Amino acid sequence: MNGRKGRLGPVLLSVGLLTLAAIAAVPLYYIVVSTFKTPVEMSQSPLGLPLSPTLDAYKDVFATTPVVQSFVNTAIVTAFGVGIQVVVGSLAAYGMILRRGRFTAIVGSLLMVAFVIPAQATLIPLYQMEAKVGLVDTLAGLVVMYLGGAVFCYFLIVGYMRKPPQELFEAARIDGSGPLRTYWTIVLPLVRPIMATVVVFQTMWVWNDFLYPNVFISSSDNRTIVLQVYNAVGQFTTNWPAFMTLTVIALIPVVVFFIFCQRWIVAGLAAGSVKG
Amino acid sequence: MDSTTDAWLRNRRRLRLTQTATSGAFLLPIMAVFVILFAVPFAQTIYYAFTDFSGYSTDVSFVGFANYAKVFADPALMQGLAFTLLYAIATTVLITVCAIPLAIALNQRFVGRNAVRSVFFFLSVPSMAILGIVWQYIFSPLDSGVLNTIVRSLFGADAVLWLSESSLARGCVIFVGVWAGVGWHATLYLAYLQAVPRDLYEQAEVDGANAWQKFVAITLPQLIPCIVVSTFLLMTAGLKVYDLPYTLTKGGPGFATNTLTQSIIVQGIAQGRADLGSALAVIFTVAVAAVVLAQLALANRLERTLS
Repeated sequence: MNGRKGRLGPVLLSVGLLTLAAIAAVPLYYIVVSTFKTPVEMSQSPLGLPLSPTLDAYKDVFATTPVVQSFVNTAIVTAFGVGIQVVVGSLAAYGMILRRGRFTAIVGSLLMVAFVIPAQATLIPLYQMEAKVGLVDTLAGLVVMYLGGAVFCYFLIVGYMRKPPQELFEAARIDGSGPLRTYWTIVLPLVRPIMATVVVFQTMWVWNDFLYPNVFISSSDNRTIVLQVYNAVGQFTTNWPAFMTLTVIALIPVVVFFIFCQRWIVAGLAAGSVKG
Repeated sequence: MDSTTDAWLRNRRRLRLTQTATSGAFLLPIMAVFVILFAVPFAQTIYYAFTDFSGYSTDVSFVGFANYAKVFADPALMQGLAFTLLYAIATTVLITVCAIPLAIALNQRFVGRNAVRSVFFFLSVPSMAILGIVWQYIFSPLDSGVLNTIVRSLFGADAVLWLSESSLARGCVIFVGVWAGVGWHATLYLAYLQAVPRDLYEQAEVDGANAWQKFVAITLPQLIPCIVVSTFLLMTAGLKVYDLPYTLTKGGPGFATNTLTQSIIVQGIAQGRADLGSALAVIFTVAVAAVVLAQLALANRLERTLS
C-alpha cells in the first residue's frame, strides 16, 4: 500500500458508507417527513421537506385511532407472554441440570422435536382449541400462543447453565436451601446475562409479531399496535400523512428499545450464534 | 459396617428419588407447554391432513392422500410453495453476498462508523409487517409514488407499476426482505470478524498478499462457521415468511407472491378447509425439517474438516 491510498482510503470508505446508509434510510426519512405534510403536499413532493409543517396528522390519528389502547394491549401481551415464557423456560433448564438421568434425557429430546416444529404446523388445531374455550379474539389467547416460545428460551438458558461449575448448585443444596430458593437466589443471578438476551429477543418477537394477532384478533379493541397500523391502511385511504403518523408513533418505542438494548441484541447474536 | 453402607445406600437412593421428583416438578410447566402447544396440535394436523375435516364438521371421514394430491394440483397453492422457496433461497443468497462485504467494510476504521452500523442494524428491528406496509406506499404505482418520482427525475421514465406485474412484484418483495435483513446479518458477521486474530493478516502482509488474497485465504475460511449459522437462520426464516409479502402485496398479483404460511391460514382458518391447510402444514414441516437437518449435517461436516 502506498501512502496516498492509505490516507485517502478511510475518507472514501467514510463517504461511500455514509451515502449507502443514507440511501438505506430513505424509507425512514420518508415516514417521518410525511407526518408533517398535508395529503396534497405528500403526493406532490413525496421526498421534499415540508414547506409549512403541520401537526394535523397527529391530531387526526389521536382523534380517530385508539393508539393508546393498542399500546396497552401490546404491552400486556408482551409482558405476560415473555414473562411466563422466560419463567417456564428457565425452570425447565434448572430442572434439566438438577438431575441427569433417563427421564431428563427423554424430556430433552422431546423438546428438541418441539424446537423443530414450526408454528405454522400447529396453527389450525390451536385456533380450533382457542375457539372452543373462547380464547380467540382475547389478549389471553395471544399470550397462550406465545408460550410456545418457552422451548426456545429453555434451549438458550440450558446451554448457558451448563457452563458455570455445577458444584455451585450442589453447594446450595447441601446448605439446606430448597430447590425453589436455590433457583431464585443462586441460579437466576448466575444466568442473568442469558436471561437478558432471551428477554430482549422474545420481546422483539412478541412486540413485532403480526401472524398471531392477524389470525386471532378481530375486534378493534384488542388489536396490538402492529395490527392497528395494518388496519390503518384501510382507515386512512386518502389521508396518507395520518397513516405515516401512526407508523411513527408505533415505531417510537421500537427506537427507544433499540437505543437501550442494542448492546444486548449484539451480544445475544454473537453468543447464540456461537452455539449454532 | 454393613448396616452403615446399607443406610448410606438407602439415603442415596432416597436423595436421588427426591432429586428426580424436584427435577420433574421444574420440568412440569414446559411439559404442559409441549403437550398442549406442540404434541397434541401437531398430531391433529397430521390426522386432519388424511381426512375431509372442514374445521367445523363433526362428520369426518378418512380420505388417504387425497388432500396432498389436491395441494399439488392447485395452481394457487403451488405458486405459494414456489414463491416461498424462491424467497427463502433468494434472500439467503443475496443477504449473504451483501452482508459479508458490508461487515468487512464496517470492521474498518472510518468516520461515522457507529452511525452507519446502527442504521443498517436498526432496519432489522421494527416489525416486518409495518415495513411492508410502508414499502407499499413507496412502490405506489402513481406518478407521485416515491420510487416513481425518483425514477422519473433520474431517467425520465414513465411510472412503473411495481407490484402489479408478477416477476417485478416478486423482485420487490425479495428486495425489501434483503434491505431489512442485511444489517442484522452484517452485525452477525462483524461479531465473527472481530474475533479473527490480527496476526494472521500481518503474516499474510509480510508474505506480500494483496487484499483479495487475504480475503480468500484468511477472512472467508474464518467466516465459515458464521456463514453456516447465518444461512441457516435465513433459510428457516425465509421458509416461514408471512408478514412481508402479506402486507406488501397480499400475495398478489394473483398468487405470484403467495406464501405457504398465508395459504395455510387462508385454507385452514378463513376458508374452512382444515384438511387442505393441514396437508400444507405437513408439507411445510417436512420442508423446514429437511433444511434444518441438511444444515446440521453440513455444519457437522465443516466442523470436522476444519478442526
